[in-house]
Amino acid sequence: MKFTVDRAPLLRALSHIQGVAEKRNTIPILANVLMNHDGEILRLTATDMEIAIVEEIPSEATRAGSVTVPAAVLFEIVRKLTDGALIEFEQESQEEPLHLRAGRYETNLNVLPVDNFPAMLAGDLPHHFSIETNGLRDLIDRTRFAMSNEETRYYLNGIYLHIVLEDKKNYLRAVATDGHRLAKIDTPAPFGVETMPGIIIPRKTVTELRKLLEGDGSSVEVSLSETRIQFRIGSILLTSKLVDGTFPEYSRVIPQNNSRILRVAKQDLAAAVGRVAAISQERSRPVKLTITRNHLTLSAVSPDQGIAQEELDENSVTYDSDDVEIGFQARYLTDITDQIDVEVEFAFANSSSPTLIRDTGQPSALYVLMPIRV
Amino acid sequence: MAGHGGNGTDRQDEATIRRILHVDMDAFYASIEQRDNPALKGRPVAVGRGAGRGVVAAASYEARAFGVRSALPSHMALERCPELVFVPPRFEVYRAVSAQIHAIFRRHTPVIQPLALDEAYLDVTEQWQDYGSATALAESIRGEIRQQTGLTASAGVSYNRFLAKLASGQRKPDGLFVIPPSQGAAFVADLPVEKFHGVGPATTRRMHGLGIHTGADLRTWTVPELKKYFGSSARFYHDIARGMDHRPVEANRPRKSLGTETTFAHDVAEWDRLATTLNEIVSRLAAGCVQRRIAGKTVTLKLRYAGFQTVTRARSAPFPIVEEAVLRQMALELLGSFFPLDRSVRLLGLTISSLVPYAEKTPPVQLRLFEP
Repeated sequence: MKFTVDRAPLLRALSHIQGVAEKRNTIPILANVLMNHDGEILRLTATDMEIAIVEEIPSEATRAGSVTVPAAVLFEIVRKLTDGALIEFEQESQEEPLHLRAGRYETNLNVLPVDNFPAMLAGDLPHHFSIETNGLRDLIDRTRFAMSNEETRYYLNGIYLHIVLEDKKNYLRAVATDGHRLAKIDTPAPFGVETMPGIIIPRKTVTELRKLLEGDGSSVEVSLSETRIQFRIGSILLTSKLVDGTFPEYSRVIPQNNSRILRVAKQDLAAAVGRVAAISQERSRPVKLTITRNHLTLSAVSPDQGIAQEELDENSVTYDSDDVEIGFQARYLTDITDQIDVEVEFAFANSSSPTLIRDTGQPSALYVLMPIRV
Repeated sequence: MAGHGGNGTDRQDEATIRRILHVDMDAFYASIEQRDNPALKGRPVAVGRGAGRGVVAAASYEARAFGVRSALPSHMALERCPELVFVPPRFEVYRAVSAQIHAIFRRHTPVIQPLALDEAYLDVTEQWQDYGSATALAESIRGEIRQQTGLTASAGVSYNRFLAKLASGQRKPDGLFVIPPSQGAAFVADLPVEKFHGVGPATTRRMHGLGIHTGADLRTWTVPELKKYFGSSARFYHDIARGMDHRPVEANRPRKSLGTETTFAHDVAEWDRLATTLNEIVSRLAAGCVQRRIAGKTVTLKLRYAGFQTVTRARSAPFPIVEEAVLRQMALELLGSFFPLDRSVRLLGLTISSLVPYAEKTPPVQLRLFEP
């Protein structure tokens, strides 16, 4: 095979491809990218047997064909070529290495037999819907930080996507939790989604999908079954297995009657949490919130540095309830404040019960955070 | 309340009468010094610093014969007993011996209330029958202490804490005294109130002012009458005048605060010297907290000026302080708040209170939304 391709679209595609390709190298060919040229279009494929990504880019070919080469190596080379380079690939025969040339640079890449490259079959995908890129991005961004990565509770290692009926309207809801915090966001249900089953999208799929959701205005075609999901984003097709498990009955951990309401300016809070936690050497970096009328003191301790504390007053804090003292992991707080634009609303019950957190400007999202006992 | 007098003892069935011991080491610190240094045997010994502003921490019986007692300023002790030998205290040794003695106690009963390194109450109500009598049990403990530490202890045996404590002082040193239920009230009747444990100098003065000099005098007062002068202590005074004391022996009584202090040999006003001393105090206090597995939220700094005026200032952290650095920071800030000083300082002390149990190296616990 022999073809040329512009560096920019190839680099962009490879940045997606190398994320999917297997890095642990248990099955060598899974670390490779399959490049298939039909004479008009170059098709790049990678899979780890859980996810498969296929991306098409324009390319000129003088000889069609297929080849597999190590994805990470190819990505590294293309990344380091000069901007605007035209890259030429040539393979004399199936067993030969793939020759790469760009300007005065050239190299050979080892190949593995194309026939050994596994195909990941999507099977029948009976449910379809179309969702705006912005909307899907929002569902992911507001929840993915709360996904678990504990292997024992594999059913928390992803985003739970399902349909809920509230006030006679259907919503597509994303929920993620690692057992310490929970994030939930609703978006109006797109047409066709009403009958879909509740599914758990695995964390790696979430990560790779998110990379594909840059830019505004376009939409994503989603097809799914009980066991597989497929996203079409322009010329990219991402297919993934779903987590085979039952997501916990999350609604029972969302507090309904937390009546102590604290409102605090997001910027001031996030900055103070960061500064106060900086001295902490605990892995969990606990930060204590001491809340009195229109006053919030954040504090942390370290065995070496002593205390760090910062006070926020009525310029950034509104509170008019019983005094509260409560501790949270700094990262858990910032993960949530990162999702919030202007003002954070906390609703407390007490120092050992779930705390509800909202963005006062975005009612569709909700966060639950479990305190840390310091 | 007249009906409450009766024959004075707590009328109880034999089966419900408690057996309480008070075990008190004889001249504990001084005896250890004499044990460990035979040259001191038979000589008047004071534990403490002889020079400058030191005070006697403990005196041997030979020294006591000259009127040397603990808390007596060293220069006065030397006036009374020019032969007095001062020995610097070795608290780590005293603590080790105390631990030995407590190990002996624990072999006999789990209900132990330490009062100091050298004395404790023991409730042996459940154990005495194995020995035939509480007195035999007390003798057994005294024998084990002598055998294992080479030191002598005195013991009081009675049916409550108040009388057990009074009893242990009756045959010191190396003695044992029993106050049985039939004699409790009579024993108290003749006793001057200032000998009562729990009646301090101020209360003594007030009682004397009211014509109360002995247990018998005190016994003529009712609780409501006592309440007018002694408030919440009325019931206690009423009861002890009758040889009654219902307070349990409180094993592991929770401590309310922990403190330590240093008296300067010469008054100090310079920040550097005060801060250096405060640093040492912080280290001792932090070590004490670790040893006792406690942490506190409130730090109180005490300053005694050269003119003996004492001032304190406290600060609370929003969480129990477990790190020495946090304690140090708070202590130094408190010290700084007294500056500039207009007088020099005689004594610095630091106390930590609002205590909570603290398991060393326990990381903060992240609570869970779902039980796993």
